[in-house]
Amino acid sequence: MVAPSATLSVLNRADGSASYQCPSTGSNILGSVNAPVELPGRRDALKPEDATIEVFVKPGTAPAGVGERYVEGILKTLLGRVILGREKGYPRRGVVITLAIIGGESVGRGDPYLILLPALLHTALLALLSASVPLSMTFSATVLAVDESGQILREPSAEDAATAQSVHVLAFSSKGHLLLNESQGSFDFDTWDKVRQRASAICHGTQLVSADGDVAMAEDVDGRPLEGTLRETVEDQVYRDYNWKINAA
Amino acid sequence: MASSAPPPALTLPPSQFARLQPHAYLLAHLSPPASSNQPSLRANGRQPAQFRPTSANTGSLTHTNGSAVVRVGDTTAVCGVRAELLPTSDIASWSVSHASSGAHKRATTTKNDADADADESHIQDLNLLVPNLSLSTGCAPGFVPGAPPSALAQSLSHQILGLLHSTRLVRAEDLRVWYQVPSFGGDGDMDVDAEEDEGRKKKNDGKEIKAFWVLYIDIMIISLAGNAFDAAWAAVLAALRDTRLPRAWWDADNEMVVCSEAVAEATRLSLRGLPIASSFCVFEADAAAGWRAVIVPDAEEEKKIEEDQRRGMQRRWILADPDGYEEGLSQERVCLVVDREMGKTVIVKMEKNGGWAVDGRELKQLVDTAAERWESLKLILEQC
Repeated sequence: MVAPSATLSVLNRADGSASYQCPSTGSNILGSVNAPVELPGRRDALKPEDATIEVFVKPGTAPAGVGERYVEGILKTLLGRVILGREKGYPRRGVVITLAIIGGESVGRGDPYLILLPALLHTALLALLSASVPLSMTFSATVLAVDESGQILREPSAEDAATAQSVHVLAFSSKGHLLLNESQGSFDFDTWDKVRQRASAICHGTQLVSADGDVAMAEDVDGRPLEGTLRETVEDQVYRDYNWKINAA
Repeated sequence: MASSAPPPALTLPPSQFARLQPHAYLLAHLSPPASSNQPSLRANGRQPAQFRPTSANTGSLTHTNGSAVVRVGDTTAVCGVRAELLPTSDIASWSVSHASSGAHKRATTTKNDADADADESHIQDLNLLVPNLSLSTGCAPGFVPGAPPSALAQSLSHQILGLLHSTRLVRAEDLRVWYQVPSFGGDGDMDVDAEEDEGRKKKNDGKEIKAFWVLYIDIMIISLAGNAFDAAWAAVLAALRDTRLPRAWWDADNEMVVCSEAVAEATRLSLRGLPIASSFCVFEADAAAGWRAVIVPDAEEEKKIEEDQRRGMQRRWILADPDGYEEGLSQERVCLVVDREMGKTVIVKMEKNGGWAVDGRELKQLVDTAAERWESLKLILEQC
């Protein structure tokens, strides 16, 4: 399993930006964050004590449509809970997140955005961190497909997802909460429970239930937890940014 | 400046309290003081896991192929299904990509329904189902009548389309118009082109698809009091159950598809299963739980707190079928679509977003609640 790679602060004019590639799903996302900004002419729609979060998803080849509205809604709800919109300077202002899908499969009409969702979430998170927007916690997300034999596939390609029995996207906070679950296809609760455990292992590398031999092996297969990869990306960026200070000391 | 009269007592009628302090109002209903001996109820008088009374009525619109009005509390959805013919000659890539494969697959899959996966691709590839949801009807104060579709309306349309595709509710076979190519006895005087053509058709059992029915599923939310998705999906389901397609056949002489006027010849759709949606929201006792910079307890601590507080104060409530008032006070939503086959609950879609209160244990309970809801809504849909 090839780990995803990311670069922070790739755009000069935006407050924060990130570019994110996930080799297994083939997605390549460029995200920018501007915060806090004054939103024009929306005084009545703005909440008086909270920041307004706007998310725009731009597909690679087509103009944004109904499917993008839907995925923007998912991102907005999740990020609205993570961003501390009541910190000083944020109420009545906007946090504008723009995510452009640069590479990877295009999503057809009526297709769910599930395969791209983790990449979009990670890009948004890294761009928010790069813009120093206050967050209550970070998160990591993954997509899993369950095929007809009940086998769990990590980060499936578009063809795998099309033939799978069910597709699940789960996001876990840095504190182990289940922040987001999007499951589609037909499955029963026990299957979902297995998917949840596997997803938790992918994101955090820890097991919720007592770990026996089998489980430990599954963890090895998944390699490094995603949480660590994201954390390291940010650490590297911070180290580069403060290079002058660290070296001077 | 001495005021002789005592100041008027500061009392508010409940309706004003509900507007001024919505969070405190709902909290006071859900956790009444122990001394009052009142049960914990929602402000609308329901139990936390109680759904609103639901009614359904089909065949209300006479000019559609199928229609339904579903009312869930004060949320009302009207759904009409209009069927239009799509001749295969109008599909640009038809002759290249589908003409032979469709009939081939049909021959192999009609016996075995579970094997019909590839056969269903027509619905998605040719966009034979076109749902559209409209909220610009003056359904709630926040929605301007006649305005362009809001982000909510667009994402609801997308959710309904996604669910129609993923549940494979409508069978592609119901939407096809077949033509049995007559096999002429003598083929001596045929030119080469026709012979080739004939040869291909022979290979396909002599049957070919001449047209498809396209179902335009239009949903109008005429009154919105929270939980639009459940009502809209129930309306789609009821309308599709009510849909009758006229008998259509290929008229070889006129080279067009014609339909029969006789109502008796119209056929109903045979739907796959009966997936039913139930939505929930989470109400937090601490209004600031989400945004305060205080450290959020991690998942393990959270479980401990939960255990400790089981007996004492409850911190959060999972409310089934939230109305508009409750939706405004909660951030976390859960949407479950379940079906039951031979006594087993099959989850078709499970969404949870906007918070961290609901995890595996809570979801398991919600699946059971959704299964109960399935039973009650099934009765309602079967009676209408």
